[in-house]
Amino acid sequence: MNTEIFGIENVNVWLDALIRVLIIVGFMTVVVMALIYAERKILARFQQRLGPTRTGPVGTLQSIADALKLIGKEDLRPRNADPWTFELAPFLVFIPVFLGFVIVPFVLDWQIRVLELGLLYFVAVSGVNIVGWIMAGWGSDNRYAMIGGMRAAAQGISYELPLVLSLVAVAMIVEVPVGDGELLRGSLNLNEIIAAQHEVPNLVWQPLVMIVFIIAALAELNRTPFDIPVGESEVVGGPFVEYSGIRWSMFFLAEYAALLIMSLIFAAVFLGGWAWPFGIWMDEAPGRWLQAIAVAIKSGAFFFLIIWIRASVPRLRIDQLMSFSWKVLLPLMLAQVLVNGLVLVYDWPEIILTAVGLVGVVALFVIVDRAVRHPRPRPAPVAPLQSEAV
Amino acid sequence: MVVEPAVEFETQDLLINVGPQHPSTHGVFRMVLEIDGEVVRDLVPYIGYLHRGAEKLCENNDFRQGIGYMDRTEYLAAHNAELSYVMAVEKLADIEVPERAQWIRMILCELNRISSHFMFLGAFGVDVGVFGTPFIYAWRERETIIDLFEEISGDRMMYAYFRAGGLAWEVPANFRERVGEVLKSARQGVKDFDGLLTENEIFLARTKNVGIISAEDAIEIGMSGPSLRASGVPLDLRKTEPYLYYDQIDFEVITAEGGDVFDRYWVRMQEILQSISIVEQCLERLEDGPIMPEKMPRMLRLPEGEVYIRTEAPRGEYGIYMVSKGGNKPYRLKVRSACLSNLQALKQMSVGQYVADAIIILGSIDIVLSEVDR
Amino acid sequence: MKGILKSMMVTASTFMRKPVTREYPERHRELPERDRAFPLLLWDQDIDEPFCTGCHACERACPVECMTVIMKDNPNHSSQGGDSKRRKIIDKFYIDYARCMRCNICVEVCNFEAIAMNNTWQGHETSVYDRADLVMDLPQLLAQSKAKQLQEWVAE
Repeated sequence: MNTEIFGIENVNVWLDALIRVLIIVGFMTVVVMALIYAERKILARFQQRLGPTRTGPVGTLQSIADALKLIGKEDLRPRNADPWTFELAPFLVFIPVFLGFVIVPFVLDWQIRVLELGLLYFVAVSGVNIVGWIMAGWGSDNRYAMIGGMRAAAQGISYELPLVLSLVAVAMIVEVPVGDGELLRGSLNLNEIIAAQHEVPNLVWQPLVMIVFIIAALAELNRTPFDIPVGESEVVGGPFVEYSGIRWSMFFLAEYAALLIMSLIFAAVFLGGWAWPFGIWMDEAPGRWLQAIAVAIKSGAFFFLIIWIRASVPRLRIDQLMSFSWKVLLPLMLAQVLVNGLVLVYDWPEIILTAVGLVGVVALFVIVDRAVRHPRPRPAPVAPLQSEAV
Repeated sequence: MVVEPAVEFETQDLLINVGPQHPSTHGVFRMVLEIDGEVVRDLVPYIGYLHRGAEKLCENNDFRQGIGYMDRTEYLAAHNAELSYVMAVEKLADIEVPERAQWIRMILCELNRISSHFMFLGAFGVDVGVFGTPFIYAWRERETIIDLFEEISGDRMMYAYFRAGGLAWEVPANFRERVGEVLKSARQGVKDFDGLLTENEIFLARTKNVGIISAEDAIEIGMSGPSLRASGVPLDLRKTEPYLYYDQIDFEVITAEGGDVFDRYWVRMQEILQSISIVEQCLERLEDGPIMPEKMPRMLRLPEGEVYIRTEAPRGEYGIYMVSKGGNKPYRLKVRSACLSNLQALKQMSVGQYVADAIIILGSIDIVLSEVDR
Repeated sequence: MKGILKSMMVTASTFMRKPVTREYPERHRELPERDRAFPLLLWDQDIDEPFCTGCHACERACPVECMTVIMKDNPNHSSQGGDSKRRKIIDKFYIDYARCMRCNICVEVCNFEAIAMNNTWQGHETSVYDRADLVMDLPQLLAQSKAKQLQEWVAE
């Protein structure tokens, strides 16, 4: 089969896919290095200090210096570590992130592949990295690592559900033109989701869903306030404590690549991707560049928000974050899906979605406030065991 | 909360070593936790990694050389440590300290209390999980205070400025303006911390109802200082046994009910504000005068006797028990350390809580290992 | 969630302020006059000899016993034809900077105002690769004062 790429006709499909994948991989590596540097600088400014300043002008070569250092380190493996589990774990964390890049649309019809079940594919693939975390934790033969791995797995599984439901809620209400000027509701194709936002971004219709997506994405990325698996002041490093050198850098890069993907998906699903507000200039040359800049600004805003939260907010304890997910986020998302369904079936005006969403945001605030300021009293602790004399 | 499994099956508790090198223990402190899943069942602390024999060293050093050692037993609140020592010497030798020296001592001790509490806020914020922001804020405020101390005594942490009888030398001429600047920046720092942590829901969820110790238990263990006052016991040595000129100053004793981690944090935050007001009142009453009594001998020799002097250090009751058998060196010097007594409550507060809570509880007692180990 | 937004506002306000970092070693802080780094010996510029006579007062007063002092007869004394009033002068003087606790007692007990604490950056930047290099001998201790690079402060 042949297809066209960059205006060159009749290119083999496999070659076309390979070229796109290589471009994306190159792009991703460079952007991830820039993201690491940007995070350090921005985090430093939030703390009223300078970030990296010495390597390169204004410290821009810091990521490269870090990468060189990590490559040069000795590759350790604990003696009793299970060899297959220990060595395969970084790959299992790293590869699903790459696979997620397949469906992300950068500008109009520029992506690796258009999949009709794009969002489903994304969710399915990003769930595989949890297995990688458990393997890293167990294969390290280290108690701290195992604790970190178990915590990460519990957290990752708990927050999959609100994440998936939030994407479902958005996928339900997008309008897809199906020939003859007719509109069909519901699509998992990311391109159609973006194209449906050429007038109004989805955050207007689904504010509660956007907030829940941000929270669930923070949990999936293991970032503050959900970074208890890599709690830097407790189990230092969590499941990655025994890894060094290139293996550790794979985890590190996977974290930032996942962050990049989440920003792009967020920009695509909630903020309108490339279609808002420049969607009408789809085919002309300046239009593409404007779209690319719009996508960059939107995902950059998400990135900035995540770093801002990291600099301001303490971390939750594992039982608190699990109960938050199961008892607060999941019911809210189910209710939102129900309301979306009702609006679709009975053809109510779409402004009801916004109203219900805002009510939901207020409800979230109230629930969190009540849970914190009027906590249920804890049962009395058991008497300590009699330990042997020190 | 304590988790009971629905089905009885055999499990094994895990021994976790929160070792001497750890980003979270404030100094070199080791504790071995026995955990069941995430719940702490038992806790065994190990101390002694920072023992340097300060008490024995002071037996070979006279009453001016020993001041440097006292600095190093509590390096975050060194003025308070020096104060107890020189007060003990003055009591035994019956020396009267001039007024100006007493007021300046009060100002410096309260400023040191402010800087020590800022250090607590910074380290506590890191324990709770905010990445680095509270720590940097704390050090920003401490820098202003420590710069002032450097202008007065020459050193940023080990001042060796107090002497038996008064102060070593006169403060610089711009003392009042500098202290005013420091207080202004300290107020802004407290506002920053207040906005960052006190109302943050996640912070409240982490610290409320965690690590509770009741007033009776705290008194029985022998706690003192802000950790005791957070359990509801209004014991402050500056009010009950006033030393220096604390009886002429108006300030409140901050207490809280509940005795959980949040209360200990809140009490210390309010104490910073109280200390700022104390320093302002002292500045009003400060007048010119001598800083050492007229006839001070070159080498101080004490009569025989023993004395126990206790003062309210930022961490609790810091006491010096000195025995003198004549001569210019103490025969025995014992430091009653506040942190060691407060640390006894760690096990009681932590058992039944989660592992993450044990770290926070240790942070909230605010220990400095040099005082625990001396 | 209101509290979390408040925390984020505080952090945002910090974002707008100027960073408090000072980039060392390109920029040094201005040291106050009373800054107390390690002790140095002072040089009498009029007569061209050290003030120190080797009287052992500081050596006895030091809490950590970090000094070693050896005196000798002053060849520059008036009885030998020179113009100095000091009968004895310092021969060898060793201070172990690794032991010194910078308590200032040696400065206080000195009868001749011959020793002072270094209040310049050279006193603080004393990193070496070998601990034995931290034992300073007489020429090293006199160097800064001889070269007139010291504005020492000695308390009255």
